[in-house]
Amino acid sequence: MPQDHEDVTVGEMLRRHGVSRRGFIKFCTAAASAMALPPFMGPAMAEQLRNARRPSVIYLSFQECTGCLESLTRSFAPTIESLIFNVISFDYSDTLMAAAGEAAEAARTKAMQENFGKYVLIVDGSVPTGAGGAYCTAGGRSAVDTLREAAKGAAAIVCVGTCASFGGIPLADPNPTQAWPVTGIVGDKPIINVSGCPPIPEVITGTLLQFVTTGKVPDLDEYRRPKVFFGNTIHDRCYRRPFYDQGKFAKSFDDEGARNGWCLFELGCKGPTTYNACATLKWNGGTSFPIESGHGCLGCSEPNFWDKGSFYSALSTPAWGKAGETSPSEVLKIAAGAAVLGVVVGAAAAGVGRMRQHRQEQQSVDNEPKGD
Amino acid sequence: MSRLGDIPIRIESAPASVEVDGGLGGGVSAILHEVVRLLEQLAAADEPAAIDLRSLPMSPQDRTELQRALGEGEVQATLNAQGVSTIRETRVPGVWWVEHRDSHGELIAELIEVTRVPQILASATDEILAGARALREQITLGATVGRC
Repeated sequence: MPQDHEDVTVGEMLRRHGVSRRGFIKFCTAAASAMALPPFMGPAMAEQLRNARRPSVIYLSFQECTGCLESLTRSFAPTIESLIFNVISFDYSDTLMAAAGEAAEAARTKAMQENFGKYVLIVDGSVPTGAGGAYCTAGGRSAVDTLREAAKGAAAIVCVGTCASFGGIPLADPNPTQAWPVTGIVGDKPIINVSGCPPIPEVITGTLLQFVTTGKVPDLDEYRRPKVFFGNTIHDRCYRRPFYDQGKFAKSFDDEGARNGWCLFELGCKGPTTYNACATLKWNGGTSFPIESGHGCLGCSEPNFWDKGSFYSALSTPAWGKAGETSPSEVLKIAAGAAVLGVVVGAAAAGVGRMRQHRQEQQSVDNEPKGD
Repeated sequence: MSRLGDIPIRIESAPASVEVDGGLGGGVSAILHEVVRLLEQLAAADEPAAIDLRSLPMSPQDRTELQRALGEGEVQATLNAQGVSTIRETRVPGVWWVEHRDSHGELIAELIEVTRVPQILASATDEILAGARALREQITLGATVGRC
C-alpha cells in the first residue's frame, strides 16, 4: 500500500497494474449500473477519475468485527477490490497492511502529514469512551484519541457500518464500554454514514467513488446517509410488496404463505422502517437479499437496531422498545390481530412504529456527546 | 458448479405479455418508443444516450422479444479488457447492444447505447500519444540493433 503512494493519476496507476482505459470504463459502467446511477455516469466517472490524483485514504478500525472490511474486500466483479485499491491510495489499514507495529503507525502519521486537509478518513467500528478509552487501544493510544487526531486533517469522514455510524452492537444496552458513533466524537467535519451490518459493498465503494469523483459530500438524509442508496425503505422496493398490499402474510417460516413468497411482515420483517438498498442492489453480486432467501429484514442499517425488541416481532406489536418487554404469547396474539385487520392495521402500525422509532432515535442522536 | 448461471432453474409462471404495438409486449414497446426518441435526439443534437437494461424489470421473454425487434446489424466488436465484452450494432443504425462480462464470464452490465460509435471503442488522446511514444522507441531500438 504505502509504496505506491506517489503523486500519480488514477489512470497512470491503473495502467501500471495492467488495467486499460477501456477496462476501467467497463468497470465504472458496471459500477454505475449496480448503483442504479444513470448509464452515462459510468464512462464520465471513468474519464474524470483517470485524470485525478489518487486520494489518500486512511482506514481506522475500532470496536468492530471486521465484517464491514470483509464486505468491502469481497465485493463484486470486475475485481473491484483490486481496482478500488488502485483508484485510492490506501495508506493505512491496520487489518490489511503488511506493516505492523511502529512501521504501520509511522505510515499513518506520514500520510496524515503529507495529505493534511485532503485525505478521506474511513472509520469502521464504534468508539469506546469508558475507562478513559482503555477498551480499545492500538500502539498505546486510545481509539478516541486516534480518531480526534486523524479527523483534524480529513477532508471528509466516511463511517463504514452501523457501529461507526450509530454505535451499533457495542452501543447496545447496557453499552458496557460507553461506545459512541463517530458523530458523537467529531463535530466539525463532513461525515457520511454508510450504515449496515455490514453495508452492501457496492454502497461502500459507490460512496467512495462518488466522493472521489466529485470532491463533494453527496446529498444525505437525516442520519447523514447518502440518499442515492438510503432514499427508499426496503419495503418500498420489496418484490413481496404486492402481497402486503393484498393483506397476504406468511404466518410461520414453513407455512403455505411462506412457500408462496407472501409478505414477512408478521414474522418480524423490519423492511417498512428500514432505509437501505438491499432490495435493489442485492448481495453477492446482485444474487439476492435476505427477504428473497425467506427471512425478514433485521433493520441493521437503522440506529439502535439491536435494542428494538425481537427480530421476530411484527412492527405492529408494542415490542418496539427494549428486548423482552413483550412475551411471545402477546406477540402472537397481536400478530394474529394484525392478520385479521390485514393491510390497514399493518400500514397504520408501521407508520406509528416509524414515528416512535424516529422520535427515540432523534433523542438518542441529540443526546450524543461532542468531544471535539 | 462454478457459476450462478450453471444452477438449473425453470420459470413456472412467467407473466403473460400484454400486447400493445404490433404484437409486442407492453414493456418492450415502451423501450422501443424510448429508443426512437433517443435516436431523434441523437440526429438533432448529436447527444448520445443509453438505457441500462439491468435496471428494467424484464422477463426473459421480454428480452428475447426486444432482441428480435432490434435485430442484427453490420458491426460486431469484441473487447478483451477485464473480461470479454460484445458491442453489436443492431439493425437500427445508431442503436448498439452492449454486453459487459467479467473475467469469470458473468454478465455485469447490459445496455442499449444510442450513439454513432460507443465511447468505449474509440481510442483516447493520451493513449494515442503513449502508443506513438512506444512505437517511436521501438523504431529507434530496431534501428540501433539493425532491424525493424
